[in-house]
Amino acid sequence: MTLFKLSLRNARRQARDYMVYFVTVVLAAALLYSFNGLIFSREINTLSQTMEMLPVLIALADIVVLCVFGWLVAYATRFMLLRRGRELGTYLLIGLENKQAARLFFLENLVVGGCSLILGIILGGLLYQAFRAMTLALFGLPYHFSFGFSVPALALTAASFALIYLYALARSRRYIRKAKIHDLIYYDRQNEGVVIQTGRRRLRVFSVSIVLGVAGTLLLMAGNMSLGVLGAGCVILFLFGFFLSFASGVPAFFDKRPWQKYRGQSLLVFRTLTAKLATMGTLMAVISVLFTATFICEGSGLVFRGIFVGRASENTCFDLYIGMDDMQRDHSVYLDYITETIPVEKSVLYQVYLSGSTQMLDYVSSQTAYYNYSYDQDPILSYSDYAALRSIAGCKTAELKEGQYLIHCMTYLEPCLKEYTQPLVLGNTSLTPGDIYTEHLAQGGWTSNGRGYILVVPDEAVQGLTVHHRAYAAKTAVPVTQDQYEAMTYLHNEIVDWTESQDYITTKAREEAEIASQTAITVFPLYYLAVALTMTAATILTIQQLSESAHYRRQFLLLQKLGMNRREMSKTLRTQFAIYYAMPAVPPILIGVPFILNLCGAPEPGVMTGAFGPAVIISAALGIFFLIYAVYILLAYTSLKRNVLPDSF
Amino acid sequence: MLQVQNIEKYYGSKNNVTKALDRVSFEVENGEFLAIMGASGSGKTTLLNCISTIDTISAGKILLDGVSVADLSETELARFRRERLGFVFQDFNLLDTLTIEENIGLALSLNHADSKEVPNRVRETAGKLGITEILPKFPYQVSGGQKQRAACARAIVAGQSLLLADEPTGALDSKSSKNLLDIMDTMNREMGATILMVTHDAYSAGYAKRVLFLKDGRVFNELLRGDRSRSIFYHEILDVLAALGGDISDVI
Repeated sequence: MTLFKLSLRNARRQARDYMVYFVTVVLAAALLYSFNGLIFSREINTLSQTMEMLPVLIALADIVVLCVFGWLVAYATRFMLLRRGRELGTYLLIGLENKQAARLFFLENLVVGGCSLILGIILGGLLYQAFRAMTLALFGLPYHFSFGFSVPALALTAASFALIYLYALARSRRYIRKAKIHDLIYYDRQNEGVVIQTGRRRLRVFSVSIVLGVAGTLLLMAGNMSLGVLGAGCVILFLFGFFLSFASGVPAFFDKRPWQKYRGQSLLVFRTLTAKLATMGTLMAVISVLFTATFICEGSGLVFRGIFVGRASENTCFDLYIGMDDMQRDHSVYLDYITETIPVEKSVLYQVYLSGSTQMLDYVSSQTAYYNYSYDQDPILSYSDYAALRSIAGCKTAELKEGQYLIHCMTYLEPCLKEYTQPLVLGNTSLTPGDIYTEHLAQGGWTSNGRGYILVVPDEAVQGLTVHHRAYAAKTAVPVTQDQYEAMTYLHNEIVDWTESQDYITTKAREEAEIASQTAITVFPLYYLAVALTMTAATILTIQQLSESAHYRRQFLLLQKLGMNRREMSKTLRTQFAIYYAMPAVPPILIGVPFILNLCGAPEPGVMTGAFGPAVIISAALGIFFLIYAVYILLAYTSLKRNVLPDSF
Repeated sequence: MLQVQNIEKYYGSKNNVTKALDRVSFEVENGEFLAIMGASGSGKTTLLNCISTIDTISAGKILLDGVSVADLSETELARFRRERLGFVFQDFNLLDTLTIEENIGLALSLNHADSKEVPNRVRETAGKLGITEILPKFPYQVSGGQKQRAACARAIVAGQSLLLADEPTGALDSKSSKNLLDIMDTMNREMGATILMVTHDAYSAGYAKRVLFLKDGRVFNELLRGDRSRSIFYHEILDVLAALGGDISDVI
């Protein structure tokens, strides 16, 4: 049998033995190819100007993913090499040269790698279509399936994989070339020692790591780039310190309380766990770091999407809105342009007044975080203008009872304004508080309908009030195009010095396109990273777990002989499994949750509400995280249960 | 205590049946030390597996303290094994991740013994078998003889009534073998343990009070030690093995 045939046969067997590894490489290739496809997709890059940034950001994410996948493949290859040490050692024993054995291993890995790359690229082609469809849907454009391969994306993926594989194989090759037969054959008999031996040192490392963990999380939340980097460093140190000291701390815990371990299944569960942690504490720490990054990526992605949608939703209520601040200036230039070029169904040109007092402003500021930089007095709108605005925005009619004023506010202010009972005095008129409305009504900008809230009063009550700004809102027959928007911006720059003017022009179509492109350029790369990182970490955990099937099987066979019934064995296996998979996921959640909550509080109030409220974002981030993780856990558990638990006699 | 009545065991499919046990019958008294000898393939391990409920029989009956093991459900069998049977295997079968103390305590833990009493009961049994000093060590840190004594401790610590030993000296050197057999002898005489040992080593069988010889799945002969010395009994065993013929090279 030639060396090549032997390699081919081994590769075939290897693919069967290491299904999880094989599947992961396929998925890794698919993921790399699909995102590379986005980088080179012209169709997507022409969607919006800001989308030019998408390839750059994906390329940056690509570099990180390449490093992580590189590490994964190198780890898995080394793992397989050591696991097959006995076989390779036997080749050397029967006279094969180290050089030849190294070549054998190289060739079979090349075959496995090549097969998974081809499969991965085919799958990636389909995945790319899914991403394309998602992007087009984000921009509200029709999607038509067209399967094809992008040559540059193909070349980039192949080059990336060549790099990953050559690095992993070069390392293995070097190892085999230098390896002694004894080392290869008896590798599995080597016992790894406990990393931190003495109790005092362990306690010190544990305490310091906890302090670093808390400090790191706080620094991450500080909202400053350099402090954030420092925080990330602290968190990484915490995770390593924690897992290394924790691994050796558990046996110490039982040494002090010997009876505890004989309770129920704790003896088997914790001894197996500590044995695992003692040998893979460092690996657990690395996995935990990956999970922390994953969780933060997922949460941040959702927060960013929430900010884009939340901020824009205030402005997407009108097809066209122009806020004009300088009352001395002639604004007819805008109106002339609109009359000439944009078919308008309904419109209103109106004024926003100031009440002359700060009573509600003071109340709101004392009750909640309120950004009052647009107004130094309470903003007022006349009822007829308000009714017109509601009609343009598609809201139901609001009734204003005699002697009352209405409040229109953003949802986050509603609870505190419901408690407000003070009358509003405008000249000789005194009005009592009436109903509160919370639909979107362009209340977030500079020259907008109040900042967070506006008071609606009878038309006659605004007589003599100071005008804060003038505004124009319209419902158009067709969406305002990007060119029309740019033309109006140009007009604005023509009539005033842009450094002095605060006219605010916004169109629904433009806001929606902005949300779409901002989502695409931030959320896509973040989720790309998140999926790649979870996949890597979960694969390593799964490979480790499944590699010990034989050990587990021996253990449960013995337990069966000793009289443990199948139900108890199943329970023990489940508990061991649950703790094993929960361990590296707990610290990331403890770090990630406060970080994401803090990030949710970063934008101005009123943005992160409803479907993007902090609780929803945390639940969604946890949901996405555990969904991907659960797939791996389920696969590993079913496979392990089938292989490990003995059949009944 | 143990009654084996006409048991038969077949392996294989319809067209290719192998008879591993053929109408085997014998009884074990309470406190007895019985050895079962035979060449490789004679059916002795199959017999032990059937008695230990790890394997099922094709015909016949096995009664332990009057209970037919065939009538027990899977859960009852598991309970039966952990409460009544103690095992000592050729390859020790200790869990590598547990210390010697924990390996012995495992039998109690599986029996849901009071967790606070476990350490004391383990130490007491270990003291009787002379392995107290190795209790905190892991199996890979102790010798084969010590591992086997730990396995013996596990087999009796929960008060199991029948100790089943499958080639207990198979992986030990002669000194450790003698040491272990002396301990088993003490367990039998002083602690009242009932022992059923499968072996192909005549020297080990010499420690028993009675030896059953299996050949081709049948009981070929039975030898009682009576008042004879161990050395005389040993030579008698060798004589029977010689009479078994052909397989003598396999059994010494």
